[in-house]
Order: sequence, then C-alpha cells, then structure tokens
Amino acid sequence: MSVLQANCPSCAAPLRFKSGSTVVVVCPFCRSAVARNDRSVEDLGKVAEVAESESPLQIGLRGEFRSNNFELTGRAQLKHESGGFWDEWYATFSNGSTGWLAEAQGKFYLTFNKPLAENVSIPDFQTLVVGQTISDISAETSFVAAEKGTATYIAADGEIPYRLTPNEQNDYADLSGANRAFATIDYGTNPPLVYVGEEVSLEDLGLANRESAERKTRKVSAETLSCPNCGGALDLIAPDKTMRVTCPFCNSLLDANQGNLKFLQTLKASPADDFVLPIGAEGAFAGGEKNKIIGAMTRSVTIEGTKYFWHEYLLYNPRIGFRWLVQSDNHWNFVEPVNVADVAEGDKTATFNGKTFKIFQDAPARVEYVKGEFYWRVEVGETVRAVDYVNAPLMLSRESTAKEINWSLGTYLTVGEVETAFGVSNLPKPYNIAPNQPFTGGFYIKAGLAMLGLLCLIAVLMIPLGGLSSTVLLQEIVLQPTANASIAQTIFSQPFELKANRNVKITASAPVNNSFAEVDVDLINEQNNEVESVDIPIEYYAGVEDGESWSEGGRTSDVYISSLPAGNYTLRVEGTKENPLTALPVTVKVEQNVARGVNFWLSFFLLSILPLWALIRKMTFESRRWSESMFGGAVDD
Amino acid sequence: MLKKILFLTFGAVIILFYLSSSWFGWEFANSGRNSRFGMPFIYGGFRGGK
Repeated sequence: MSVLQANCPSCAAPLRFKSGSTVVVVCPFCRSAVARNDRSVEDLGKVAEVAESESPLQIGLRGEFRSNNFELTGRAQLKHESGGFWDEWYATFSNGSTGWLAEAQGKFYLTFNKPLAENVSIPDFQTLVVGQTISDISAETSFVAAEKGTATYIAADGEIPYRLTPNEQNDYADLSGANRAFATIDYGTNPPLVYVGEEVSLEDLGLANRESAERKTRKVSAETLSCPNCGGALDLIAPDKTMRVTCPFCNSLLDANQGNLKFLQTLKASPADDFVLPIGAEGAFAGGEKNKIIGAMTRSVTIEGTKYFWHEYLLYNPRIGFRWLVQSDNHWNFVEPVNVADVAEGDKTATFNGKTFKIFQDAPARVEYVKGEFYWRVEVGETVRAVDYVNAPLMLSRESTAKEINWSLGTYLTVGEVETAFGVSNLPKPYNIAPNQPFTGGFYIKAGLAMLGLLCLIAVLMIPLGGLSSTVLLQEIVLQPTANASIAQTIFSQPFELKANRNVKITASAPVNNSFAEVDVDLINEQNNEVESVDIPIEYYAGVEDGESWSEGGRTSDVYISSLPAGNYTLRVEGTKENPLTALPVTVKVEQNVARGVNFWLSFFLLSILPLWALIRKMTFESRRWSESMFGGAVDD
Repeated sequence: MLKKILFLTFGAVIILFYLSSSWFGWEFANSGRNSRFGMPFIYGGFRGGK
C-alpha cells in the first residue's frame, strides 16, 4: 500500500490517504469510492452522501481513549434490514492501531479487530441463534448474541480501512457482554472478522466537552416534508432517525427514507387508541433529562381468547436516545434498554443487577395502532414474543424475534409522577394491580416489626432491672361460724412493708367445696390511712353428671394492683361464706414485683394492629397481582 | 408521610407506656377499686414514683 497520494480515477481530483491502514478514500468532489493497491488506485463506484444526523461526531474530530489519542478519519453509513441506519466511524489512533466507533440510537460502541486463535471457532451465520452464548471470543467475558442481520453499505465519507463497495451487503452479528462489553462478528469475509470492545460514552472518549461534539440539530429539511397522501405538512421531531411516521391529518402510515415519504396504508383508530399524552409533549424523568414523545402505539396480547391492550409512548432525547413510557390499565412505567448480557434468564426467573425477577407473562405482543414517528419500520400486526418478569417496582422484559433479542427495564411510576413529569393533571386513575406495582404499606410492616422487636427487648431487659418478686405477707385467718351467711367478719392482718414502684399481688386460698367465700381486702396505709380495696371471690364446685365428673372455679384466687406509695400497711379482711355454720380458714398472701404478662401482651396487641392490617393488605394485594399472571406467582424463590 | 409519622408516634407512645409501667409497677389491668385502669395518676392514693 504505497500509494499515499493519487488522483481520483473518476474526476481527477487529488486524493490523499492519510493513514497507512486506509484502503478506500471517498472522493469529496465526485463521491467515488477510490481504493488503493500496490501500484494504482481503483474506482469502486459512487457512494451516496451520508445522511445528516444529530451525531456529535464528525470527521477530523480528535479524542482520547485510555490515554491514546485518536482522530476520526472516516465514516460509513449502513442500513439495517429493518430499515434503520447506523454510523460507523473509523478511528485512527496515535499508536498506530485502528478502531471502529459505532453509533446507534444514541449509544456508542468502540471496537477493535481481534484476530482469533486458530483453535477458536465461532458459529457461522446460519447456525448462530439469537440469545446464544459465545465464550471463546474473550477471556474476560462471555458474549450473548443479541442480534443478527444483514447490513448494506449505503454511504461513506473520508477514509475507510477496508475495501468498501457501495451497496455491498454483509451479514453480521452483534454480541453483548457483561460490564458493557460489546463485540461484532463481520461475516463479510472468510473467516469472519471479530471486533471486540465496549459501549463507551462521550466522556470515555474525551469528547464530552469538545465544542465540535456538542449535539447540533441538523434536521433533514423537516419543514419541506409533506404527506404524499393528503399533502399535509409534517414536522418531524427526529427526522434523521425516523423510519415510519403517521400523518396527523389523514391518519396515513408513511415510510420515511431520508426525507422521502411513501404512503403505506391508512390506519383506523379505535376508542382503545386514544392516547392521553400528545405527540410532542416533553417530560422530565429520573436524572432530570427531558424526553419528548415522538410516537405512540397501541399493543395487545391475547390470552385465553381475550385481548388486552396497552399504550406505549416512544420518548426521544438526542443525548440519551430512545426510551419508552408504557401505560397499561392506567398504570405507568418508564422503560429503559438493558444490556442483553447483564440478564441471566432461568426457567421461570431472570436475574439482573443482583435482583431476581419472577416470570409474570409470556405471550406474543402485537402492534395494533401507531401514531407519530418511529425509528424502525413499524407495522400494524408486527408481533414479537414478550416475556415479562417482575420484582416490584421493576419489570424486566424480553422482546425477541428470530433475529433480535432486546431486554428492557421498566420502573413503575405513579400517576402523580407522570403528571409532574409532563406538567399535566387529571390523568385517568389506574385500575387493577399492575404487575410491578409496589405495595405501599410495606413501611407499616417493617416499622411495626421493629417496634415489636423493641418491645420484646425492653421486656427482656426489665427482668434483671426490675428484680425478683418477694412475699411480704403470708397469714392464715379463720372465718368463724356465724348465724347466717350475710354476716361479715372483719379481721386485721399483721403489719407489713410495701416498697414503691412495684406491683402488688394478693392471693387468697380457702378449702371451699361446692361453696363460695367472698373476701374483701382493704390495704390500709398506716401513715395516712388511705385505703386501696379489692374483692377476692373464691368458689369451687364439682360433681358427677351423666357419668362424667366436672368442676368449676378454684380454691385459690388472686388480684393485682398497681404499685402503692412505700410504707407500712395492714390488711383489713372482711369475709363472708356460703356455709355459715362451719369455720373456714383463709390463707392470705401479699407479694410484690410479680412478673405478669398483661402489660406486655396488651402493648404487643396494640402495636400489632397496624402491621397486621398492612400484612393482610399485602397478601390481598399480591393475590390480586398474581391473579392477573399466566403463572399465578407459583414460582419458588 | 403524615400517616407514617402518626403511626410511629402511636408506636412510640405504646412502648413508652410499657416501659413506664414496667419501671413504676403499674398494672394496666388492675383490680383495685380506686385504680380501675391501673394508672397511678388516675387513682387517688398515688403519692409519686421514684
């Protein structure tokens, strides 16, 4: 490759091959792709001018990647078989290496050719299956085939490091790896070439603050587009990305090809296609980035003969690319794309970012109606397999065809959040439970359990702090025989001492048998004669009825009272008994600091009410959520 | 947010009552004629705690 300067074989304009690795230069005057060889140059044919886009990149732009300076010296524009375009920029590094910077849907991927060892084999294009794991390419990570397809070279500019033939078609496969790793297999050569690299940001390339890297709106003459069906003026929001657009005047679906519109069909809207947010509305979501609604579609799944509809809004921001806002049963989700290789899919679960998601739905999703602009050739009737996994408030979704697999992560938004984002009000209220709708009562369960735990801890700590129980009086008194049962006898006990801040338990025992005794006890404070009174009934009945013995009541009865002021006390016991003619001995015991569970269990009950109510609500909530699922939530964790 | 604050306040009051009752020897379920609810400040015979 000795020819560094030459004249264009088509127009004789002077050409210069700046880089030693450059194979083709596009003549800036006549658009011929001029290839060089050992002794001469060859005209490979005319290439189209690259379609202007809002790309921040341009030929001649210099950046830095991992301390290596580079310059963008060429650009190829390729057409996806589904209609979209993407750019591949040729980066010449100061250390002599070359790389490709692919730009698609607002994302950048920097890859370098990686010669594979002889013992490494990669699947050929026909046998490669989307979703297949390929582990031989890199020692650092395994790759997952995310997409396979055929690309057509439609335009180029500057210097290209391979023999680019205009309109040549090449099979390719895009692979995703963990930690933003990315690889492409180019099946245009035999053996295929493998390019390995990673997804990068403008910051990674040292381009974030360059004047030339600022996003510039260079729309494809949007003001001149008009509907080929009705002549209505169409103002495209993302003309360089749009492949399909609908006419708001005649409801035609139009194919958009670099500014050329072609009528495809007239769409019929149904009441199910009333979108509550208008095309062109801007909303700010997490991170504060504003996203503009450029398209909206109605999609459906059919489950057990019933069709379920939902709306999807396509959001666009030149800095971050495309996002989705999904409205289903008036529940909302903000949906972002996810790297295919970052998801580990099991039988009924999927794992992403350390979280496990349960499968919720697996059904074909069909496009029913579209409105606005779309970056792919959307069609009514377009169907993909859609599998949803949930871990509220997140929903992980896989949409796949034979040629492409896409994962996305939806985050549940409340109606209020959507209203705030778009500055609107009165959006319709949601109904049913959304698959990833978070349960809002979780706080009451967690906080309630924490408080119950604290209560138990206090109860345990109070055992040593409160001290042991003690008996301060144990005395037997005798109720003497009387003329009749209504005559009460009053007996005073020995004096005893009560300590402050300790509860008091008074127990009375009497050998009653099929009879009762009533013991009224007054605790008399000897210092001030204040009295605390309690009644202690003792009754015990037993017998045999129909051959079975029975009993009720007991010969011992007790009562508790709160702590009394410290001091010396005396019991005044006033007793009556059912059998007045016999004497009845009554044993009276006074204890202090007796452990009793009433306070604890009463507090426990009161603290349990709200968490228990929240727990019941959660169970009902989850039951309702999973009743909408094809899998009923019967997935083991 | 207000509901959550009210719930936490309610819980704190319950725990505080339990802690107080344990410390001062109060019985919520009380048999004394002068202190039906077990609260020393409700019945007349209370002369103060610690």
